[in-house]
Amino acid sequence: MTESPAPGTTPSPPGLRQLFTGMLMVALSAFGGGLSAWSQRIIVEQRHWMSNEEFLTGLTVARLFPGPNQINMAVYVGTFFRGLPGALAALAGMLLVPFTLLMGVGLLYFQFHTLPALDRVLAGVVAAAAGMALSMGFKILDQYWKDPMALVLAAVTFVLMTFFHVRLVPLVLVAGPLAMAWYWPRPSHPPAPQGERR
Amino acid sequence: MRLNDLGHLLQVMGTFLGLSLFSLGGGNTLLTEYHHLSVEQYCWLRPSQFADIYALAEAAPGPSSMIVGLLGMGAGWPEGPGWALLSAYGAEIAILLPSTLLMVVACLSWNRLRDSPWRVAFERGLGPITLGILFAVGVKILKTADTNAAGVVVSLLVCVLMLRTRISPLWFMAVAGGLGAFGLINR
Repeated sequence: MTESPAPGTTPSPPGLRQLFTGMLMVALSAFGGGLSAWSQRIIVEQRHWMSNEEFLTGLTVARLFPGPNQINMAVYVGTFFRGLPGALAALAGMLLVPFTLLMGVGLLYFQFHTLPALDRVLAGVVAAAAGMALSMGFKILDQYWKDPMALVLAAVTFVLMTFFHVRLVPLVLVAGPLAMAWYWPRPSHPPAPQGERR
Repeated sequence: MRLNDLGHLLQVMGTFLGLSLFSLGGGNTLLTEYHHLSVEQYCWLRPSQFADIYALAEAAPGPSSMIVGLLGMGAGWPEGPGWALLSAYGAEIAILLPSTLLMVVACLSWNRLRDSPWRVAFERGLGPITLGILFAVGVKILKTADTNAAGVVVSLLVCVLMLRTRISPLWFMAVAGGLGAFGLINR
Protein backbone atom coordinates (compact mmCIF):
# COMPACT_ATOMS: atom_id res chain seq x y z
CA MET A 1 0.00 0.00 0.00
CA THR A 2 2.92 2.35 0.48
CA GLU A 3 4.43 1.89 -2.98
CA SER A 4 3.42 4.31 -5.70
CA PRO A 5 -0.11 3.81 -7.03
CA ALA A 6 -0.84 1.61 -10.03
CA PRO A 7 -0.09 3.08 -13.47
CA GLY A 8 -2.96 4.98 -14.98
CA THR A 9 -4.11 6.60 -11.76
CA THR A 10 -1.81 9.64 -11.59
CA PRO A 11 1.64 10.52 -12.90
CA SER A 12 2.86 12.11 -9.67
CA PRO A 13 1.30 11.37 -6.26
CA PRO A 14 -0.12 14.40 -4.42
CA GLY A 15 2.10 16.24 -1.98
CA LEU A 16 1.15 17.48 1.48
CA ARG A 17 -0.27 20.76 0.22
CA GLN A 18 -2.33 19.04 -2.46
CA LEU A 19 -3.68 16.57 0.10
CA PHE A 20 -4.68 19.48 2.32
CA THR A 21 -6.39 21.47 -0.45
CA GLY A 22 -8.02 18.34 -1.92
CA MET A 23 -9.66 17.47 1.38
CA LEU A 24 -10.57 21.12 1.89
CA MET A 25 -12.43 20.95 -1.44
CA VAL A 26 -14.20 17.76 -0.35
CA ALA A 27 -15.32 19.38 2.90
CA LEU A 28 -16.52 22.56 1.15
CA SER A 29 -18.34 20.66 -1.61
CA ALA A 30 -20.15 18.52 0.94
CA PHE A 31 -21.79 21.42 2.80
CA GLY A 32 -25.23 20.20 1.81
CA GLY A 33 -24.38 16.61 2.81
CA GLY A 34 -23.06 13.56 0.97
CA LEU A 35 -19.47 13.71 2.23
CA SER A 36 -18.72 10.18 1.02
CA ALA A 37 -19.95 10.77 -2.53
CA TRP A 38 -18.00 14.01 -2.78
CA SER A 39 -14.72 12.50 -1.62
CA GLN A 40 -15.09 9.79 -4.28
CA ARG A 41 -15.90 12.35 -6.96
CA ILE A 42 -12.95 14.59 -6.15
CA ILE A 43 -10.30 11.97 -5.34
CA VAL A 44 -11.14 9.47 -8.09
CA GLU A 45 -12.91 11.34 -10.88
CA GLN A 46 -11.52 14.87 -10.75
CA ARG A 47 -7.98 14.53 -9.47
CA HIS A 48 -7.30 10.90 -10.48
CA TRP A 49 -5.29 10.29 -7.32
CA MET A 50 -6.68 6.79 -6.84
CA SER A 51 -8.46 4.22 -8.98
CA ASN A 52 -12.03 3.47 -7.97
CA GLU A 53 -10.90 0.11 -6.63
CA GLU A 54 -8.24 1.68 -4.43
CA PHE A 55 -10.80 4.15 -3.13
CA LEU A 56 -13.29 1.39 -2.27
CA THR A 57 -10.57 -0.56 -0.45
CA GLY A 58 -9.91 2.59 1.56
CA LEU A 59 -13.60 2.90 2.38
CA THR A 60 -13.68 -0.70 3.61
CA VAL A 61 -10.70 -0.07 5.91
CA ALA A 62 -12.18 3.25 7.08
CA ARG A 63 -15.45 1.57 8.06
CA LEU A 64 -13.78 -1.37 9.74
CA PHE A 65 -11.53 0.54 12.10
CA PRO A 66 -12.66 2.75 14.99
CA GLY A 67 -13.22 6.44 14.29
CA PRO A 68 -15.60 8.48 12.15
CA ASN A 69 -15.78 6.97 8.64
CA GLN A 70 -15.10 10.13 6.66
CA ILE A 71 -12.23 11.18 8.90
CA ASN A 72 -10.74 7.70 8.62
CA MET A 73 -11.10 7.91 4.85
CA ALA A 74 -9.17 11.20 4.78
CA VAL A 75 -6.48 9.63 6.98
CA TYR A 76 -6.34 6.63 4.63
CA VAL A 77 -5.88 8.79 1.54
CA GLY A 78 -3.20 10.89 3.25
CA THR A 79 -1.30 7.85 4.52
CA PHE A 80 -1.58 6.11 1.16
CA PHE A 81 0.54 8.80 -0.49
CA ARG A 82 2.58 10.48 2.25
CA GLY A 83 2.45 8.38 5.42
CA LEU A 84 1.69 10.01 8.77
CA PRO A 85 2.41 13.61 7.61
CA GLY A 86 0.03 13.07 4.70
CA ALA A 87 -2.63 11.76 7.09
CA LEU A 88 -2.36 14.88 9.24
CA ALA A 89 -2.46 17.19 6.20
CA ALA A 90 -5.59 15.45 4.85
CA LEU A 91 -7.22 15.50 8.27
CA ALA A 92 -6.53 19.22 8.71
CA GLY A 93 -7.98 19.97 5.27
CA MET A 94 -11.10 17.93 6.01
CA LEU A 95 -11.78 19.55 9.39
CA LEU A 96 -10.55 23.15 9.13
CA VAL A 97 -13.65 24.87 7.75
CA PRO A 98 -16.47 22.75 9.24
CA PHE A 99 -14.89 22.69 12.69
CA THR A 100 -14.16 26.42 12.77
CA LEU A 101 -17.74 27.07 11.70
CA LEU A 102 -19.15 24.74 14.35
CA MET A 103 -17.02 26.41 17.02
CA GLY A 104 -18.51 29.77 16.02
CA VAL A 105 -22.01 28.32 16.32
CA GLY A 106 -21.06 26.75 19.65
CA LEU A 107 -19.84 30.05 21.13
CA LEU A 108 -23.09 31.72 20.04
CA TYR A 109 -25.08 28.85 21.52
CA PHE A 110 -23.44 28.94 24.95
CA GLN A 111 -23.78 32.73 25.01
CA PHE A 112 -27.44 32.91 24.01
CA HIS A 113 -29.11 29.56 24.72
CA THR A 114 -31.04 30.97 27.66
CA LEU A 115 -33.02 33.32 25.39
CA PRO A 116 -36.62 31.97 25.41
CA ALA A 117 -37.10 32.41 21.64
CA LEU A 118 -33.96 30.38 20.83
CA ASP A 119 -34.89 27.72 23.35
CA ARG A 120 -38.31 27.28 21.74
CA VAL A 121 -36.84 26.79 18.27
CA LEU A 122 -34.24 24.38 19.64
CA ALA A 123 -36.97 22.31 21.35
CA GLY A 124 -38.36 21.59 17.89
CA VAL A 125 -34.98 20.97 16.26
CA VAL A 126 -34.09 18.56 19.06
CA ALA A 127 -37.23 16.50 18.32
CA ALA A 128 -36.15 16.12 14.68
CA ALA A 129 -32.58 15.26 15.70
CA ALA A 130 -33.89 12.56 18.05
CA GLY A 131 -35.70 11.01 15.09
CA MET A 132 -32.44 11.00 13.14
CA ALA A 133 -30.67 9.27 16.03
CA LEU A 134 -33.44 6.69 16.25
CA SER A 135 -33.05 5.82 12.55
CA MET A 136 -29.34 4.89 12.84
CA GLY A 137 -29.94 1.37 14.13
CA PHE A 138 -32.73 0.63 11.64
CA LYS A 139 -30.45 1.74 8.81
CA ILE A 140 -28.04 -1.16 9.32
CA LEU A 141 -30.61 -3.68 10.62
CA ASP A 142 -31.27 -5.16 7.15
CA GLN A 143 -27.88 -6.78 6.79
CA TYR A 144 -28.37 -8.82 9.98
CA TRP A 145 -31.89 -10.22 9.34
CA LYS A 146 -30.68 -13.65 8.23
CA ASP A 147 -28.33 -14.12 11.17
CA PRO A 148 -30.26 -15.05 14.37
CA MET A 149 -27.09 -14.95 16.50
CA ALA A 150 -26.39 -11.38 15.38
CA LEU A 151 -29.92 -10.35 16.36
CA VAL A 152 -29.52 -11.99 19.78
CA LEU A 153 -26.18 -10.22 20.31
CA ALA A 154 -27.69 -6.89 19.28
CA ALA A 155 -30.74 -7.39 21.52
CA VAL A 156 -28.63 -8.34 24.55
CA THR A 157 -26.37 -5.32 23.95
CA PHE A 158 -29.38 -3.02 23.69
CA VAL A 159 -31.05 -4.36 26.85
CA LEU A 160 -27.83 -4.22 28.89
CA MET A 161 -27.19 -0.61 27.91
CA THR A 162 -30.74 0.72 28.04
CA PHE A 163 -32.21 -1.09 31.06
CA PHE A 164 -29.16 -2.10 33.09
CA HIS A 165 -27.09 1.00 32.28
CA VAL A 166 -23.98 -1.02 31.45
CA ARG A 167 -21.28 1.35 30.19
CA LEU A 168 -19.88 1.10 26.69
CA VAL A 169 -16.23 0.31 27.42
CA PRO A 170 -16.73 -2.73 29.73
CA LEU A 171 -19.53 -3.94 27.46
CA VAL A 172 -17.36 -3.91 24.33
CA LEU A 173 -14.38 -5.40 26.19
CA VAL A 174 -16.47 -8.40 27.34
CA ALA A 175 -18.97 -8.88 24.52
CA GLY A 176 -16.47 -8.08 21.75
CA PRO A 177 -14.13 -11.05 22.31
CA LEU A 178 -17.10 -13.41 22.89
CA ALA A 179 -18.70 -12.34 19.60
CA MET A 180 -15.33 -12.60 17.83
CA ALA A 181 -14.91 -16.16 19.10
CA TRP A 182 -18.39 -17.07 17.80
CA TYR A 183 -17.68 -15.57 14.37
CA TRP A 184 -14.09 -16.85 14.12
CA PRO A 185 -13.77 -18.14 10.54
CA ARG A 186 -14.00 -21.94 10.53
CA PRO A 187 -12.16 -23.95 7.90
CA SER A 188 -15.24 -26.17 7.33
CA HIS A 189 -17.17 -23.40 5.60
CA PRO A 190 -14.81 -20.89 4.03
CA PRO A 191 -15.56 -17.17 4.38
CA ALA A 192 -17.26 -15.25 1.57
CA PRO A 193 -15.00 -13.95 -1.23
CA GLN A 194 -13.00 -10.84 -0.40
CA GLY A 195 -14.64 -7.49 -0.99
CA GLU A 196 -18.14 -8.95 -1.04
CA ARG A 197 -19.09 -8.04 2.52
CA ARG A 198 -21.26 -4.96 3.13
CA MET B 1 -6.45 29.35 39.44
CA ARG B 2 -4.90 28.97 35.98
CA LEU B 3 -3.23 25.76 37.03
CA ASN B 4 -6.63 24.47 38.05
CA ASP B 5 -8.02 25.28 34.61
CA LEU B 6 -5.12 23.53 32.93
CA GLY B 7 -5.74 20.45 35.06
CA HIS B 8 -9.37 20.56 33.99
CA LEU B 9 -8.36 20.76 30.34
CA LEU B 10 -6.03 17.77 30.71
CA GLN B 11 -8.83 15.82 32.40
CA VAL B 12 -11.16 16.55 29.46
CA MET B 13 -8.50 15.44 26.98
CA GLY B 14 -7.64 12.29 28.93
CA THR B 15 -11.30 11.29 29.02
CA PHE B 16 -11.65 11.51 25.24
CA LEU B 17 -8.26 9.92 24.50
CA GLY B 18 -9.46 6.82 26.34
CA LEU B 19 -12.72 6.64 24.39
CA SER B 20 -11.31 7.11 20.90
CA LEU B 21 -10.71 3.46 20.07
CA PHE B 22 -14.25 2.50 21.12
CA SER B 23 -15.88 4.60 18.40
CA LEU B 24 -17.29 1.71 16.39
CA GLY B 25 -19.66 1.99 13.47
CA GLY B 26 -18.53 5.45 12.42
CA GLY B 27 -18.37 7.00 15.86
CA ASN B 28 -22.04 7.32 16.78
CA THR B 29 -21.72 4.43 19.23
CA LEU B 30 -20.03 6.80 21.66
CA LEU B 31 -23.06 9.06 22.12
CA THR B 32 -24.42 7.33 25.25
CA GLU B 33 -20.95 7.57 26.73
CA TYR B 34 -20.70 11.27 25.84
CA HIS B 35 -24.06 11.78 27.56
CA HIS B 36 -22.94 9.92 30.67
CA LEU B 37 -19.67 11.85 30.94
CA SER B 38 -20.91 15.35 30.20
CA VAL B 39 -24.31 15.26 31.94
CA GLU B 40 -24.08 12.69 34.75
CA GLN B 41 -20.43 12.33 35.70
CA TYR B 42 -18.81 15.76 35.21
CA CYS B 43 -21.98 17.91 34.94
CA TRP B 44 -20.56 20.00 32.09
CA LEU B 45 -24.04 20.25 30.56
CA ARG B 46 -27.69 20.03 31.56
CA PRO B 47 -29.67 17.27 29.76
CA SER B 48 -31.46 19.80 27.54
CA GLN B 49 -28.10 21.32 26.57
CA PHE B 50 -26.81 17.89 25.57
CA ALA B 51 -29.83 17.45 23.30
CA ASP B 52 -29.25 20.94 21.82
CA ILE B 53 -25.59 20.20 21.15
CA TYR B 54 -26.37 16.89 19.48
CA ALA B 55 -28.85 18.69 17.20
CA LEU B 56 -26.32 21.44 16.36
CA ALA B 57 -23.63 18.89 15.48
CA GLU B 58 -26.08 16.96 13.28
CA ALA B 59 -27.22 20.11 11.51
CA ALA B 60 -23.70 21.41 10.89
CA PRO B 61 -21.86 20.36 7.73
CA GLY B 62 -18.95 17.98 8.22
CA PRO B 63 -18.31 14.78 10.18
CA SER B 64 -20.77 14.33 13.07
CA SER B 65 -17.97 13.44 15.51
CA MET B 66 -17.39 17.18 15.81
CA ILE B 67 -19.91 17.04 18.67
CA VAL B 68 -16.90 16.30 20.88
CA GLY B 69 -15.62 19.82 20.20
CA LEU B 70 -18.92 21.20 21.51
CA LEU B 71 -18.75 18.97 24.60
CA GLY B 72 -15.24 20.28 25.28
CA MET B 73 -16.55 23.80 24.83
CA GLY B 74 -19.28 23.14 27.40
CA ALA B 75 -16.66 21.81 29.82
CA GLY B 76 -14.53 24.95 29.47
CA TRP B 77 -17.34 27.51 29.28
CA PRO B 78 -17.48 28.35 33.04
CA GLU B 79 -13.85 29.52 32.77
CA GLY B 80 -14.61 31.91 29.90
CA PRO B 81 -14.80 31.73 26.09
CA GLY B 82 -11.01 31.53 25.67
CA TRP B 83 -10.70 28.41 27.78
CA ALA B 84 -13.88 27.05 26.19
CA LEU B 85 -12.28 27.22 22.73
CA LEU B 86 -9.02 25.72 23.97
CA SER B 87 -10.95 22.93 25.65
CA ALA B 88 -12.99 22.37 22.48
CA TYR B 89 -9.90 21.97 20.30
CA GLY B 90 -8.23 19.81 22.96
CA ALA B 91 -11.24 17.50 23.20
CA GLU B 92 -11.54 17.10 19.42
CA ILE B 93 -7.83 16.36 19.00
CA ALA B 94 -8.00 13.85 21.85
CA ILE B 95 -10.95 11.93 20.39
CA LEU B 96 -9.35 11.79 16.92
CA LEU B 97 -5.69 11.12 17.76
CA PRO B 98 -5.72 7.41 18.78
CA SER B 99 -8.13 6.33 16.03
CA THR B 100 -6.10 8.30 13.46
CA LEU B 101 -2.83 6.64 14.48
CA LEU B 102 -4.49 3.21 14.33
CA MET B 103 -5.87 4.05 10.89
CA VAL B 104 -2.38 4.98 9.65
CA VAL B 105 -1.07 1.61 10.85
CA ALA B 106 -4.08 -0.14 9.27
CA CYS B 107 -3.46 1.54 5.92
CA LEU B 108 0.22 0.61 5.90
CA SER B 109 -0.38 -3.03 6.87
CA TRP B 110 -3.70 -3.70 5.13
CA ASN B 111 -2.25 -6.28 2.73
CA ARG B 112 -1.33 -8.47 5.69
CA LEU B 113 -4.49 -7.71 7.68
CA ARG B 114 -6.95 -8.31 4.88
CA ASP B 115 -6.97 -12.10 4.98
CA SER B 116 -6.26 -12.45 8.69
CA PRO B 117 -8.89 -14.40 10.67
CA TRP B 118 -8.66 -11.63 13.30
CA ARG B 119 -10.00 -9.12 10.79
CA VAL B 120 -12.86 -11.39 9.71
CA ALA B 121 -13.84 -12.15 13.32
CA PHE B 122 -13.56 -8.49 14.31
CA GLU B 123 -15.74 -7.31 11.45
CA ARG B 124 -18.42 -9.97 11.89
CA GLY B 125 -18.41 -10.01 15.67
CA LEU B 126 -18.43 -6.29 16.34
CA GLY B 127 -21.13 -5.61 13.73
CA PRO B 128 -24.07 -6.97 15.76
CA ILE B 129 -22.78 -5.28 18.93
CA THR B 130 -22.62 -1.99 17.04
CA LEU B 131 -26.22 -2.57 15.93
CA GLY B 132 -27.37 -3.02 19.54
CA ILE B 133 -25.43 0.05 20.68
CA LEU B 134 -26.95 2.23 17.94
CA PHE B 135 -30.48 1.30 19.07
CA ALA B 136 -29.51 2.13 22.65
CA VAL B 137 -28.12 5.47 21.42
CA GLY B 138 -31.37 6.26 19.60
CA VAL B 139 -33.46 5.60 22.70
CA LYS B 140 -31.05 7.61 24.87
CA ILE B 141 -31.20 10.67 22.60
CA LEU B 142 -35.00 10.41 22.41
CA LYS B 143 -35.20 10.35 26.22
CA THR B 144 -32.76 13.25 26.52
CA ALA B 145 -34.75 15.34 24.02
CA ASP B 146 -37.64 14.98 26.50
CA THR B 147 -40.21 16.83 24.37
CA ASN B 148 -44.01 16.79 24.69
CA ALA B 149 -46.20 14.23 22.88
CA ALA B 150 -46.20 16.29 19.68
CA GLY B 151 -42.40 16.30 19.75
CA VAL B 152 -42.24 12.51 20.14
CA VAL B 153 -44.61 12.10 17.18
CA VAL B 154 -42.32 14.34 15.13
CA SER B 155 -39.29 12.27 16.22
CA LEU B 156 -40.95 9.02 15.13
CA LEU B 157 -42.09 10.59 11.86
CA VAL B 158 -38.57 11.87 11.12
CA CYS B 159 -37.17 8.40 11.88
CA VAL B 160 -39.51 6.83 9.30
CA LEU B 161 -38.81 9.56 6.74
CA MET B 162 -35.05 9.13 7.23
CA LEU B 163 -35.42 5.44 6.34
CA ARG B 164 -37.97 5.74 3.53
CA THR B 165 -37.00 8.94 1.69
CA ARG B 166 -33.83 10.72 0.64
CA ILE B 167 -34.96 14.15 1.82
CA SER B 168 -32.14 16.12 3.45
CA PRO B 169 -32.49 15.97 7.27
CA LEU B 170 -31.92 19.73 7.35
CA TRP B 171 -35.50 20.14 6.10
CA PHE B 172 -36.85 18.07 9.00
CA MET B 173 -34.87 20.20 11.44
CA ALA B 174 -36.07 23.44 9.85
CA VAL B 175 -39.73 22.40 9.90
CA ALA B 176 -39.50 21.05 13.45
CA GLY B 177 -37.71 24.24 14.53
CA GLY B 178 -40.66 26.19 13.12
CA LEU B 179 -43.11 24.01 15.05
CA GLY B 180 -41.05 24.75 18.16
CA ALA B 181 -41.09 28.49 17.52
CA PHE B 182 -44.90 28.42 17.33
CA GLY B 183 -45.05 26.47 20.59
CA LEU B 184 -46.41 23.24 19.09
CA ILE B 185 -43.32 21.33 20.25
CA ASN B 186 -41.99 22.16 23.68
CA ARG B 187 -40.07 20.57 26.53
